[in-house]
Amino acid sequence: MGSLFRSEEVALCQLFLQSESAYTCVSELGELGLVQFRDLNPDVNAFQRKFVNEVRRCDEMERKLRYLEREIRRDAIPMQDTGDNPEAPMPREMIDLEANFEKLENELKEVNSNAEALKRNYLELTELRHILKKTQVFFDEEGHLWPWQAERDGCAGNLDGGSVSLTQNLLPDEAKGPIQLGFVAGVILRERVASFERMLWRACRGNVFLRQAQIEEPLEDPATGEQVYKSVFIIFFQGEQLKLRVKKICEGFRATMYPCPEAPADRREMAMGVKTRLDDLNTVLSQTQDHRHRVLVSAARNLRSWMLKVWKIKAIYHSLNMFNIDTIQNGLIAECWIPVPDLETVQLALRRGTEKSGSLPAILNRLSCVESPPTFHRTNKFTRAFQGLIDSYGVASYREMNPAVYTIITFPFLFAIMFGDLGHGIIMTLFGAWMVWKEKPLSVKKVDSEIWNIFFGGRYIILLMGTFSMYTGIIYNDVFSKSLNLFGSSWHVPFNESTIRDNREIMLDPKQPDQYEGTPYPIGLDPLWQLAANKINFLNSYKMKISIIFGIVHMMFGIILSLWNHRFFNRRLNVLCEFIPQVLFMSCLFVYLTLLVFIKWVNYGAGEDVPLVLTPGCAPSILITFINMVLMKGYEEAKGPNSCSAYMYDGQFYLQRMMVVVAVICVPWMLVAKPYFLYRASKQRAMLGTGGVEGAMEETPSTMPVQPAEDHDMSEILIHQGIHTIEFVLGSVSHTASYLRLWALSLAHAQLSEVLWGMVLRIGLSTAGTTGGFAMYFIFAAWATLTVVILVLMEGLSAFLHTLRLHWVEFQSKFYEGQGYAFVPFSFDSILEANESTVTEAK
Amino acid sequence: MFIFQNIIIMLDSAFNIDCGYLEGLVRGFRNGILRQHDYLNLVQCESLDDLKLHLQSTDYGSFLANEASPLQVSVIDDKLREKLVIEFQHMRNHAVEPLATFMDYITYGYMIDNIVLLITGALHQRPISELMPKCHPLGTFDQIEAINVANTSVELYNAVLVDTPLAEFFGECVSEQDLDELNIEIIRNTLYKAYLESFYNYCKNLGGPTAEVMCPILAFEADRRAFIITVNSFGTELTKEDRAKLYPTCGRLYPDGLAALARADDPENVKQVAEFYAEYRALFEGAGNNPGEKTLEDKFFEYEVKLNVNAFMHQFHCGVFYSYLRLKEQECRNIVWISECIAQKHRAKIDNYIPIL
Repeated sequence: MGSLFRSEEVALCQLFLQSESAYTCVSELGELGLVQFRDLNPDVNAFQRKFVNEVRRCDEMERKLRYLEREIRRDAIPMQDTGDNPEAPMPREMIDLEANFEKLENELKEVNSNAEALKRNYLELTELRHILKKTQVFFDEEGHLWPWQAERDGCAGNLDGGSVSLTQNLLPDEAKGPIQLGFVAGVILRERVASFERMLWRACRGNVFLRQAQIEEPLEDPATGEQVYKSVFIIFFQGEQLKLRVKKICEGFRATMYPCPEAPADRREMAMGVKTRLDDLNTVLSQTQDHRHRVLVSAARNLRSWMLKVWKIKAIYHSLNMFNIDTIQNGLIAECWIPVPDLETVQLALRRGTEKSGSLPAILNRLSCVESPPTFHRTNKFTRAFQGLIDSYGVASYREMNPAVYTIITFPFLFAIMFGDLGHGIIMTLFGAWMVWKEKPLSVKKVDSEIWNIFFGGRYIILLMGTFSMYTGIIYNDVFSKSLNLFGSSWHVPFNESTIRDNREIMLDPKQPDQYEGTPYPIGLDPLWQLAANKINFLNSYKMKISIIFGIVHMMFGIILSLWNHRFFNRRLNVLCEFIPQVLFMSCLFVYLTLLVFIKWVNYGAGEDVPLVLTPGCAPSILITFINMVLMKGYEEAKGPNSCSAYMYDGQFYLQRMMVVVAVICVPWMLVAKPYFLYRASKQRAMLGTGGVEGAMEETPSTMPVQPAEDHDMSEILIHQGIHTIEFVLGSVSHTASYLRLWALSLAHAQLSEVLWGMVLRIGLSTAGTTGGFAMYFIFAAWATLTVVILVLMEGLSAFLHTLRLHWVEFQSKFYEGQGYAFVPFSFDSILEANESTVTEAK
Repeated sequence: MFIFQNIIIMLDSAFNIDCGYLEGLVRGFRNGILRQHDYLNLVQCESLDDLKLHLQSTDYGSFLANEASPLQVSVIDDKLREKLVIEFQHMRNHAVEPLATFMDYITYGYMIDNIVLLITGALHQRPISELMPKCHPLGTFDQIEAINVANTSVELYNAVLVDTPLAEFFGECVSEQDLDELNIEIIRNTLYKAYLESFYNYCKNLGGPTAEVMCPILAFEADRRAFIITVNSFGTELTKEDRAKLYPTCGRLYPDGLAALARADDPENVKQVAEFYAEYRALFEGAGNNPGEKTLEDKFFEYEVKLNVNAFMHQFHCGVFYSYLRLKEQECRNIVWISECIAQKHRAKIDNYIPIL
């Protein structure tokens, strides 16, 4: 155990693998996910490594699978995700897989090309059908005279009379010689018609005549499978020259031209022929589609497991590429980080791997190493989110105290101080609880929404934050800005109705037994305060004080944690020169401040038998007292038993003066002591000529890597220590003040919810009669929406961010280095997850 | 309103209102341009598959992942171009004035090249459908495939180009002569001259950093064309007067250098003209056709890369879009060059790429 408080011990190990068993061993380790391999050939290019051919084969297989997947998706065939996790196949099975994919790909390609050819054919026939249909209209419009007359002797495209109708133009003019009037019919993309027409007119100098009609239904483009709209056109012209030219332009605009017989009878015949051929083609097409569908459905069944297999093989070869090659013994040498408690498991996995391949066993050696090992925190689904909060600030240095454990409680607690409202807390808790309850079905369902994933990842944080907010809500006695009077208020109003009506404000006196019972409300704030005019003053004083108290406790806790760090790493010098003065500094100033708060709370109060000095009117202001303490200013002693005293207890002045002196002494202590000792040690070492003294001062434990003895640069140490000291001294003031955000946000939250109640819901509640009922219906909806959106979501987010800051800056700066790097084990699960997310992104 | 717009244009920082996103984007793209160590790795590749593997670790990512191996150089070339075009068109689609016109101007150069390519192809009786894939996708327009309708340049203008943005550049080269090889070259260069001058003026009118950056680049482009036209004209039937008409007049050579070039009779004369201009002298001095020496063309490319890299030192101007395209094209040429060398096992010249940065 103990792994919760510190990162786990990680050992650098060397693995000797036989080349036959390397693959299976790495495969086993990948399933295990407890080993991080080090790249032993960082200088070698990706394409010069040993197993680059295998990686390439995997790439090729992946490509084929992607092709299959694309095709499957295009036909909208559901892919089965059975959720099973096939083991990485043996290298020899790779050939089978490859052959299989190859076959499938070729088959599919063939089917596709067949289908495309058929579709092209189909498209052509459909277009032809449309042409025949549409041109029929053109020809009809131009009068039944025209076709046979044109056939007989053609006609002159006499275009001199612009106002003369087309039919007349086309009528044979006996005066001119027999000129063949030809025409071309075809189909063109509808968006190109305009420029096509313009081009025709320009290139042929207006000597052609174009008619066009739109084909209403979209046609399928066989190459892309997209639906496109086309138009039928027919161009009349005269002469071979123009014909050539028109044809060129048609080609240029990718128009498809079809032969169109001139005689109506021929056209009718052709239309019949086209229709029968279309029918035939339809049956063939549907058969091809069926075949394609069958192939794809059978592929879809296995696609996911194939993909997983290929990914696994690829991952294994990528790892093998990081190994060194032992040419003498024909094996591979790997270096890896393994958490010490898992060494046994890893050994077992290696044995399984070697048994599978039936070769000599793999050998695992522990190495000692200079560089610092990676940081590995074993987490579960509960602690993972909290560890994530810490890691996003900085991964812990190897084996230093892990703040995540304490964060589990302190984080929701500080959040709740700011978010204290029973009602909002319940909403948050219910949401968190729902996510935790439905954990399994929700986590299986992969949602792309980033916001949802953030919420779901932090479900336990949300649950805890909600429950803690409920608690602080009870303490603040706040439910949607109203109070609950569960146990009966301790205050009573003894006045009769007329007094209450006549006076705008009535003061209740705690000294009067008929107004105050003498014992406080059992838990939290008395509900009476909700009505009091001085509610804000009272709450401010209370919340400010608890913010400071919790802040100082939190920071002191952080400083104490640093002692554990110093002891663990055997840094005695740091305990003497940092930890002790820091604790003294904090206790003499700020812990004393909280003590004053408690003294004031306990000693001063109202009551029958309280002497005048201890009445509320005489209570000294803590702020003034503290400022005077630091400025070392004294007060006159109390004159007699009937006047107030500025001091809370005897000898306060001298005690305070002493504490300030101690605190001031702590500053140079922190600043100078450590550099001085280091300087002396290095001088002694220089005299002895060995590096033994450094070790005496800062002994490194056996598990720690031995740092190479380096000559400390004195000025660097001084500067470093100076920054550290200034940061601490100034920080202790500013950080204490920073905790006041607890009060500020809590005040803001309470006020905001009060405003919302007063401005929105009260309107509904104060409207009488049936209309009030209807109005309430809508007003409640508005109020509920605003409550959830603004008070729970927005305020929750802001309180969350402030809490995060309090942890990262105020708390962790006291002890946390965060200079480590994370342990990233070679694990199939994480690799597959990453691959799958890229695949879904690509969609 | 007009005054107000002018004030806005004058403010450099107002550039970001319209083009800030795109500039960010293009600078991001530029950071993906291969660096020296990438080239060192590429040069070591044994096969095109190695090359693909290495490109996967760069910003190119998996752009070749869906290609079946063995790879062809032409496939690589196509894919490189396709990626660049997608990037450019993405930016063009998001651009507003004046950047939109600026980016359109960039594409006009490709249109000219495409037209010339198609006409030349048509002269040699090649079908248009075979030539179309060779055209640059940035320079296509609606009527382009119908270009072989034209037999003379008048027809070319009246039938095809009059609707395209190139129409305004075509004014000078309308003639009734049939299109032949020499004619086409002249058309190309006249078009290019008009295009460059128009582009130059457009940038100059934009003013601000855009003019500061783009004018030197375009001036160099103009001078390079003038030099190359002159060098290539030796030994052809092009007369000196005709040649002088082809020189773009927006470069640093204008007017004295161009006049001197117009009189040049052999490459030595050209070199003498360059002597008078410090940066061009340096280019001509190191150039040669012997092994170990860089050709003049490569020297020009190097200088162009330098200018384009420097364009990124300024902020708030449209020049980065032009420069990015140019740098990326150079990179594509480099990768294709290296791939060709690998594919043909001709490693001696593999180092003749032009490094960027």
